[in-house]
Amino acid sequence: MTTHEQDGADTTPRPPLLDMRQVTVDYQSRRGTVPAVRGVDLTVDAGQTLGLAGESGCGKSTLAMSVLRLLPRSAHLGGDILLDGENVREMSWGRLRAVRWASASVVFQGAMHALNPVRPIGEQIAEPLRLHRATTTPAAVRTRVNELLDQVELPVARSTAYPHELSGGQRQRVMIAMALACSPRLIIADEPTTALDVIVQAQVLDLLSRLVTERQLGLLMISHDLSVLAACCQRLAVMYQGRIVEEGPSTDVVRTPTHPHSIALADAFPTVGDPASRLVTPRDTTPDTPPLLEARGVSVTFPSRGGTTTRAVSDATLAVHPDEIVALVGQSGSGKTTLARTLLGLQQPTAGEVRFDGRRLPRSARALRAYRRQAQLVLQDPTGALNPRHSVYEAVAEGLRIHRVPGDETTAVADALSQAELRPPEEFFTALPHELSGGQRQRVVIAGALALRPRLLIADEPVASLDASVRGEILALLLGLRVDLGLSTLVITHDLGLAWNIADRVIVMYQGRIVEEGTVEQVLLDPRHEYTRTLLAAVPEPLTGRAGATPAPTSPSRQEPTEDPSEVTGV
Amino acid sequence: MTTPTSTRALTWQRRARALRTGWRSFRAQRGAVAGLAVLLTIVALAVLAPVLTDESQLGIINTMSNPALAPPSGEFWLGTDENGRSVLLLTWWGARVSLLVGLAATLLSVFIGTFVGIVSAHFGGWLSAVLLRFTDFFLVLPSLVLAIALSTVLSRGVGTIVLAIGLTAWPTTARLVRAQTLTVQARPYIERSTALGAGHGHLIAKHILPGVLPLVFANTTLAVASAVIAESTLSFLGLGDPTQISWGSMLKFAMDSGAVTNGAWWYLLPPGLGIVCVVLSFTLCGRGLETVLNPRLRGR
Repeated sequence: MTTHEQDGADTTPRPPLLDMRQVTVDYQSRRGTVPAVRGVDLTVDAGQTLGLAGESGCGKSTLAMSVLRLLPRSAHLGGDILLDGENVREMSWGRLRAVRWASASVVFQGAMHALNPVRPIGEQIAEPLRLHRATTTPAAVRTRVNELLDQVELPVARSTAYPHELSGGQRQRVMIAMALACSPRLIIADEPTTALDVIVQAQVLDLLSRLVTERQLGLLMISHDLSVLAACCQRLAVMYQGRIVEEGPSTDVVRTPTHPHSIALADAFPTVGDPASRLVTPRDTTPDTPPLLEARGVSVTFPSRGGTTTRAVSDATLAVHPDEIVALVGQSGSGKTTLARTLLGLQQPTAGEVRFDGRRLPRSARALRAYRRQAQLVLQDPTGALNPRHSVYEAVAEGLRIHRVPGDETTAVADALSQAELRPPEEFFTALPHELSGGQRQRVVIAGALALRPRLLIADEPVASLDASVRGEILALLLGLRVDLGLSTLVITHDLGLAWNIADRVIVMYQGRIVEEGTVEQVLLDPRHEYTRTLLAAVPEPLTGRAGATPAPTSPSRQEPTEDPSEVTGV
Repeated sequence: MTTPTSTRALTWQRRARALRTGWRSFRAQRGAVAGLAVLLTIVALAVLAPVLTDESQLGIINTMSNPALAPPSGEFWLGTDENGRSVLLLTWWGARVSLLVGLAATLLSVFIGTFVGIVSAHFGGWLSAVLLRFTDFFLVLPSLVLAIALSTVLSRGVGTIVLAIGLTAWPTTARLVRAQTLTVQARPYIERSTALGAGHGHLIAKHILPGVLPLVFANTTLAVASAVIAESTLSFLGLGDPTQISWGSMLKFAMDSGAVTNGAWWYLLPPGLGIVCVVLSFTLCGRGLETVLNPRLRGR
């Protein structure tokens, strides 16, 4: 199998790199034909970047996979997809194999699952080279792999590493190196940064933008996060229910969206510093009431291989007061989840103490059970947090049954569900988690916590796995709970926009230590610690420059015109 | 949806509905349905044997007048054995012991395996380490040799055979259940439940066991098949209850009495085919159940 297509042909009037004409994809299922993509026209040219935005289930990934006909057998493809002027639908099996990776390649979502865990990454990068250029010598392959690693800024020595030995960002770089291996002219990136935190996300986006300008690639990037796309793409297309509802230059789409769905997407990602997206009235000082939850010098160490210990949290001191929303911010691996687990008594601190309502947290399982009626946990992924076999009623009633709460169970469940704004509650009683939407599931988890009438809610990334339009609703719900029930909330997040949306105070955590603490306005508008500044600078900001923050390391993607933040329409 | 008068009743309604859907997808698989049909027929025949047949004809004293090792004829459809007993009758009655031992031994091994698996996965720590080493010990022990040793030490009888098979067959179930428990345990809903204040009992009863049971059921049907074979092997080796006829002991008598050298195929074939039928139908049912419980296998 040989293809020298990418080196040779240099005819002058080139057709666009990717030309999609009235593309439709239908899935055949037992319930009949389900349309996923309903007539999409798109073009991408060399050196161009097109962002495809949309919520889960809108058909954006299906559309991307249709370019290389990487669809499951049950999918039926209609319309025309011209790759370099050649119709993908009419390609023979052999031709398709030759085109895959050599003309267009894919950076898959979730680098952990897309990489083979039992082979070193150098081998995996070499795989497409061996398949597509059978004549290359082993030495040439090795040189090319080193070249690719160099391009994605990974040390060459890491080529013998296995995927689990790399961080999330490094794995994503490996995926990009693999995509570049056969020098394709088109790269399709499917949610390339979704699982990454802001700082790593900024690095990966920089890398992709640099490669596009340096090598004159075409890039089709898919994401649900409009701000990521706007930071990296020249043009944006918003997809909704299988159709492109809006398309245009990034700045126009983000700043003046016309379709209601684009407006919802644009609003969902707030701009830090924009008063319109601040949902709470700022408080100047911390309340002088005694704290509800307090951590004093908490350290948590884990034994690791080789007899050494890993310090996840060191000497953390924080307080959550009644009727207050506190955001604990940090990138992944900063120890914020470990700290949250310690605060809930799910993890024992190696040093220091946690106090609730002035009393030290007990260590025995029986005494902790009483504490757990007072402090509740809301997990990141509502799909995983609900037992798929339990109905909504059982899930919400679980806490009541565990604690043998007296009184009418049905009424208590109904009340909790209405507090979580699932109304009328009776209609949800028998529903199973898979019958609900992501936002509804998260409401069920919140209702399950509320059923015990807790005084404190610890929410670990409560909206990270939800669609953009649902995000705002859940945040409004958390705010409403504080207003209606006086519930204190500790929100753990990597998302500074979320902190800006709803928090009263922000605590910034870095490498297991709390590095900065204060009201939202103090910390986010006038950060004092170096790390907070880096974190703020890494937030993709399509439109604004921020007063007081140092700019990110210079990159071609971020040379956008500076605009007044107040121009953005608020929530 | 109507207003729920009793949530419990609705839950049961839902379970009944789930059962019906499960049955529908089981029925869609021809192999599984065939296996179930054969199995039900064999079980019904075995249970009804005392009603349908004359038990006295199993005694050698009553069959002295019959020809020995006679080929199939109008009177003896499957011929006779060396004592003039009807092979059809022997096979019919042999099914009772084979099925009984197979099922009882499986229940014993699945029970031990599930218990050890869940406990070692859920509690972890030194308890898990001890239980795992214990499992490994039984896993590497040649199970046939252990079963032989057990049945020679203990008094001979059906109970001993059940014990011998049950005590040697559980480690695979334990490993399987342990692996499944570990995956169920890593799910966030376990952490949610713990944060709600749940103890070990609640976690195991409400979340882990229901998550593991489907796998256990599927595994059970597959384990019956191997238990039936193990019973035949032990009986064939002469370690079974000499007063009871089972398929394994029939094969042993056939060997001892020289049926093979005499070309008496009618004596060897029925018990052998019986074993094949039972094992095959249990396996088919097990695979069918697996497909019902694991939707990802569907359509493959």
